[in-house]
Amino acid sequence: MTILSVGTDTFSVFGTTATLLVSDPDWLETARGIADVELAAVDRACSRFRPDSELSRLNAADGAVTSVTDLFADLLEAALRAARLTGGDVDPTCGQALVEIGYDRDFAVLQAAGEPAQQRPRAKTRIPGWRNVRLDRKRRLAQLSDGAQLDLGATAKAWAADRCAELIATQAGSGVLVSLGGDIAVAGPPPADGWRVRVTDDHAAGPQAPGQTVTIRSGGLATSSTTVRTWAVAGRRVHHIIDPATGGPVQSCWRTVSVAAASCVDANTASTAAIIRSAAALPWLRDAGLPARLVREDGSVETTAGWPRDPVPAEEA
Amino acid sequence: MRRDDVRFAAAARDDGIRRISRFTWRAGAAGVVCSALIAVAFGHHAAHATRGGGTSGSHAIVVPNQPPAPAHGAGQVTSGAS
Repeated sequence: MTILSVGTDTFSVFGTTATLLVSDPDWLETARGIADVELAAVDRACSRFRPDSELSRLNAADGAVTSVTDLFADLLEAALRAARLTGGDVDPTCGQALVEIGYDRDFAVLQAAGEPAQQRPRAKTRIPGWRNVRLDRKRRLAQLSDGAQLDLGATAKAWAADRCAELIATQAGSGVLVSLGGDIAVAGPPPADGWRVRVTDDHAAGPQAPGQTVTIRSGGLATSSTTVRTWAVAGRRVHHIIDPATGGPVQSCWRTVSVAAASCVDANTASTAAIIRSAAALPWLRDAGLPARLVREDGSVETTAGWPRDPVPAEEA
Repeated sequence: MRRDDVRFAAAARDDGIRRISRFTWRAGAAGVVCSALIAVAFGHHAAHATRGGGTSGSHAIVVPNQPPAPAHGAGQVTSGAS
């Protein structure tokens, strides 16, 4: 159970914490350089809080056809694929709904300010739906209709983790784990015992937070939760996972869902959809063969498709 | 005279068979070349489609090679919501 000489770097990105682990510490600086370039490009492409991002320009285009870069097209394609594969449960056109519940600025700023701009909860916002997003890959054009406003938060971070891990493993030839706010992608040869991941509600809670430790050797692992990224609006706690059916924060029987998949973006697509699908998530994940750990509000746990059962406390010690 | 006719007919038959055989070989070779070209074209497309997530070309959420394995103690990283 020993994992020797892994290089580790932790830094801030996208308003959250990133962690980089490389199996060959000599490649850590190179890996960080690759990650910095890629993450800066993703931020320029799809940040909802940068007026100069491609996403902001598209949202402000009032339905006009807009030219986009290959990178933005990749990110938008990943978001549309997530919507398609979940029957619209993970919908990228929830941008306006998030603004309506006060998530109208970077979350770190929102937390520091204490109060969002929107003080009273309004009537729930109608979600235009992902079919109102058109993407022409060949001509690199995108268009929104029916007032759709994009937010790629459900997929962009996970996509970026996959992208960084793949590039670092290819260029450095080292095994690598990239965690962007708890969205984890691994690539290249893993350590002998695999990468050890503590699965818990809040990625910032630390490596011994209540939860479960597992190892992964390839692909991705992601966790979605209604307990994190919450704020108060008119005395009511709200969170950032929008139910497209209602236009408001989802009411789920699960407080936290973790999923392992062949990529981080697939894992995050499934974990987000599972929160939104509530009780229906359990048979859906089982049918799909996706290993998952689902935690109810009372802390009781369900697992699917080979995800290991939680150890009893004596085993943990 | 009849013997010449028979020889002529046999020669014509042999020539016809040779032509059909040649045509078959050429058609087969053309098929192989076309298959190779199509494979290269789709291979290139697939390589482009997997850029990024590695599963982006798939029409379903892709399960991992193996499920997470149990482990004890602290993790090297934490997976939780952010």
